[in-house]
Amino acid sequence: MRGRALAGFAAAGLGLSAVPFFGPPAFYESFLYLVFHWIVLAVSWNILSGYSGYFSFGHGAFFGAGMYTTATLATKAGVPFLWTLPLAALVAAAFGIALGALVFRLPRLRGELFALLTLAVTFVLATIVLNTPIDGGPGLYLSAVPLLAIGPSPSSTFYLLGLALALATLWIAREIQRSKLGTGLFAIHDDEDVAEVLGVPTYRYKLAAFGVSCGLAGVAGGIQAMFISYVTVGETFSIAVPLNVVLMSVLGGSRHWFGPAVGAAAVTALLYAFTAGDYAVAGHAAVGLILIIVILFLPEGIFGELIGALKRRRVPATPAIDAAGLPAPAAAGPGKSEGPALLEARGLSKAFRGVQALAGVDLEVRRGEILGLVGPNGSGKSTLINVVSGHFRPDSGRILFEGRDLAALEAHRIARTGIARTYQIPRPFAHLSVLENVALPAMFGRDAQARPDAEREARRWLAFTGLAAKAMSLPGELNLHQRKFLELARALASRPGLLLLDEVFSGLTHAEIDDAIRLIREIRARGATIVFVEHVIRAVMELTDRIVVLSYGRVIAEGDPRVVMREPDVVAAYLGKPRA
Amino acid sequence: MLEVERIRVSYGAAPAISGVSIRVGAGELVCVVGPNGAGKTTLINAIAGLHSIEAGALRLDGRDLSRLPRHAFCGEGIAIVPEGRRLFAGMSVRENLELGSYRRAARARRAGSLDRVCEVFPILRERLEQPAGTLSGGQQQMLAIGRALMAQPRLLLLDEPSLGLAPAVVLAVFDVIKEINAGGVAVLLVEQNAALALEIAARAYVLEEGRIAAEGRPEALLAHADIRRAYLG
Amino acid sequence: MALPSLTLLGQSLLSGLFIGALYGLLGLGLSLSWGMLRQINLAHFALAFLGAYLTYQLAGAGMDPLATLAVVMPCFFALGVLMHWLLARFSVSAFNSLLVSFGFTAIIEALIQWIWTADFRRMESAYGEVKFRVGALYVALPELLTLAMAVALSLLVWAWLRHTYTGKAMRAIAEDAPMAAAFGVDVRGLSLLLSGLSAAFAGVAGLCLALSYTLAPGQIYAWLGVVFAAVMLGGLGNPLGPLVAGIVIGVSEALTMAFTAPAWAPLVSFSLLIVVLLARPGRI
Repeated sequence: MRGRALAGFAAAGLGLSAVPFFGPPAFYESFLYLVFHWIVLAVSWNILSGYSGYFSFGHGAFFGAGMYTTATLATKAGVPFLWTLPLAALVAAAFGIALGALVFRLPRLRGELFALLTLAVTFVLATIVLNTPIDGGPGLYLSAVPLLAIGPSPSSTFYLLGLALALATLWIAREIQRSKLGTGLFAIHDDEDVAEVLGVPTYRYKLAAFGVSCGLAGVAGGIQAMFISYVTVGETFSIAVPLNVVLMSVLGGSRHWFGPAVGAAAVTALLYAFTAGDYAVAGHAAVGLILIIVILFLPEGIFGELIGALKRRRVPATPAIDAAGLPAPAAAGPGKSEGPALLEARGLSKAFRGVQALAGVDLEVRRGEILGLVGPNGSGKSTLINVVSGHFRPDSGRILFEGRDLAALEAHRIARTGIARTYQIPRPFAHLSVLENVALPAMFGRDAQARPDAEREARRWLAFTGLAAKAMSLPGELNLHQRKFLELARALASRPGLLLLDEVFSGLTHAEIDDAIRLIREIRARGATIVFVEHVIRAVMELTDRIVVLSYGRVIAEGDPRVVMREPDVVAAYLGKPRA
Repeated sequence: MLEVERIRVSYGAAPAISGVSIRVGAGELVCVVGPNGAGKTTLINAIAGLHSIEAGALRLDGRDLSRLPRHAFCGEGIAIVPEGRRLFAGMSVRENLELGSYRRAARARRAGSLDRVCEVFPILRERLEQPAGTLSGGQQQMLAIGRALMAQPRLLLLDEPSLGLAPAVVLAVFDVIKEINAGGVAVLLVEQNAALALEIAARAYVLEEGRIAAEGRPEALLAHADIRRAYLG
Repeated sequence: MALPSLTLLGQSLLSGLFIGALYGLLGLGLSLSWGMLRQINLAHFALAFLGAYLTYQLAGAGMDPLATLAVVMPCFFALGVLMHWLLARFSVSAFNSLLVSFGFTAIIEALIQWIWTADFRRMESAYGEVKFRVGALYVALPELLTLAMAVALSLLVWAWLRHTYTGKAMRAIAEDAPMAAAFGVDVRGLSLLLSGLSAAFAGVAGLCLALSYTLAPGQIYAWLGVVFAAVMLGGLGNPLGPLVAGIVIGVSEALTMAFTAPAWAPLVSFSLLIVVLLARPGRI
């Protein structure tokens, strides 16, 4: 697959590079250079913002940093133009990583706030550049800087430079999308918290994407500096760059590496057409109108909608899968309930805004058992699962898993220790296919498999849960029962030693419950330890070896399900105590 | 007075409740009990107009409510005390109460209503100017009930009033509910805490997995194995 | 770095006060629609400039600038209602409303440039000539008018939200719209009303812009960052917030300019914005 793509890129590259040698008018070459220029800016922006959903309005800052790096080094330090380009990339990338290192640490700085922050950074940088010797006001002239003659004419040279950078940027964007980094970024886009819990190192990935994105913008800035040969703060740091790249990517489709390129070409051509016809002003209005129409009616962008439509037509062949060839979820321990403690919670407490959800919970989960966690609404069951799986930090207490204290670990590391969970209301990654959803934990979990192996593993688990036929569908196309099983398959794909299930049975019909019970029995037969929170008492009675009853954040009973559920304390906790 | 006939309400693809029919007569205190996940909140939200109904009918005194816009339900005389209270936390206790009587018919009698509510819940009178978010759980529940009373309702809907409250406070709240009903307001109470709810209700329904599993007089239901089975298996 | 004289300092503080009032006026509508309706209306700035240009045009035709409000405000109210209706009809999220309003901004800017060209326009009015003396300091009437209108509108909105039933209903909508509806509040109608008001306020800000400043289409974005900073510092949805925060920013900028070079002024507001975003992210 990659070989074919590489060949395609090479062919396009060779073909397009030949163009200047046919002697077209300089005006065409300049126009095409501009198209390549905007392709680079839009595609590079998309690497962070489109893939991960962190829309940055500050692309102009990094573009400007690159522009001024080249301009300064070429004019004041006499560095040859082409050598300034890698330096421009470095400076821009360094800025991006420094900003990201600070900003990505703050969990609530997402969405519109991130956009505004990055916009503010652009203006701050512009002011600093304007007021310091970097520019100082008059701008920088590069007309005296010698340009290496790569093509038959100066405009050809820029054409070729632009072409080279555009192809490189497209290739990088493509490679990232198909890599582990790309999958992680797309997962972050859909549900960052779940991605983190599944093992995706969200901080590092966002930083990496930001760095690459800014570096590429920096190079584009460097080349542009030479192209326009007169660099001023006003033109460089104007609102045009950030707004145009957002527009182009949204128009073309921000979930695919090629989408922004389509948008860039379309918008550049459109604006050029209007400018050529003396209707430059109308051009901007047209662009604004198109943006509105796209947001309202074509949320995936032109290219995105196209790809989506094509995907729906294709019916992929599902290879025959042998479910019996499934690996054991974890090293099979001794028989149920007799083994040593796999998980120990001691004195766990957690409060939310004055409500004490957990008030000192002591709990033990033995290797190989199925433990039921029950209790009335508000008793703290879900909170307990959230704390053990790393969604929340406990206020006090310890959680020992295979002897290690989990409370100290970051969420994405907990996944690597071998704990997996499902969510009460399924939280699949809405824009990843069912297969990709299940393959993700295999790629980021304890075993950190390569994509082909992870996908094979994912197919096995999909077969196990009966979802093999839906591998290429999006989660939105599944019904509740299937989505719950998707959650289950996803949890199993990381081969956990401990599986935490949060209300797997709620909302299912009788037949579906039977299905699920059978599945869970089989999972345990392969050696997994299971803790499940449940209200459907039938499932609890049939499946569990032991149950623990929570009420008001405390454990009030534990033991054999049939015995415990008849205890007066437990009955009172559920039904309430009558006054007399 | 209230007739709910075979309604179906869904979240997304799957129906949360279907084929549910219940009746509340004028001045009656009816409760709906059932385990968590049975669909109780869905049912009461549908009756309050907070969620749309896919199939079936919803009638108040013979008038079809299902076609009304959300903000018209209150005008019909229905007021809700929702799950989790859902007070306007940044606004003062007084303002929350005033908003309760936003509908035209209740506005004119606002001052009188406020006095009466403060009689029923003296603690609120002390804290009228405090932001609602600073009250304790029990006080917030009182305020939520007070807010609903300000609307001068003919039918009061309560969704799990005992949730998150200490046992002693729950008893006080249920006493108040009984008092309100004694004053002539019909009450539909949805509750997980079956024992207390059945104590004060005239009639009860048991909701299980989105359907009515049983209905009748509380004593009959308690004696029957139905309730125990629904909750405890 | 020479220390400025007391008079210069005083004049700087005054000018900071007045420009801060304009920030506040510009920010009022933005803060209301963002805080209460969860819609970030970038087009607010373009609308303000459209209002400024309209005032310029009508004044040029002989109308008293203040009287132009009678024309501008109702038209803008209708525009605001229309924009909100569009966003609600398509259930546009908070973030996407930022993008859609950006589209509107581009359209309005193009419209302005098409009608009035990119040339600088300065409105000549009787108000522009009047200056008052307060001790050693000078105060121009247009700036005083700006301050008066900013204070008046902010106080009016504050009073509306705090003391009238529709105002309280509006605050309830901002807290929990479905619950407000459950108690009889017409959420949709009030939201449209608020959008219309925000747009009308943009028109008033436009008048003040026309009174004191030279207009050019490119200027629209110059105010963007500083006003967003004022809105966020003042707290979303707080009617007095943008005014107070705007004055704080304006005075800080003026002091910066007095002690260093004027070109450093933008640094103040954007740095403040960055600090606020980093220190108090979330719903601010």
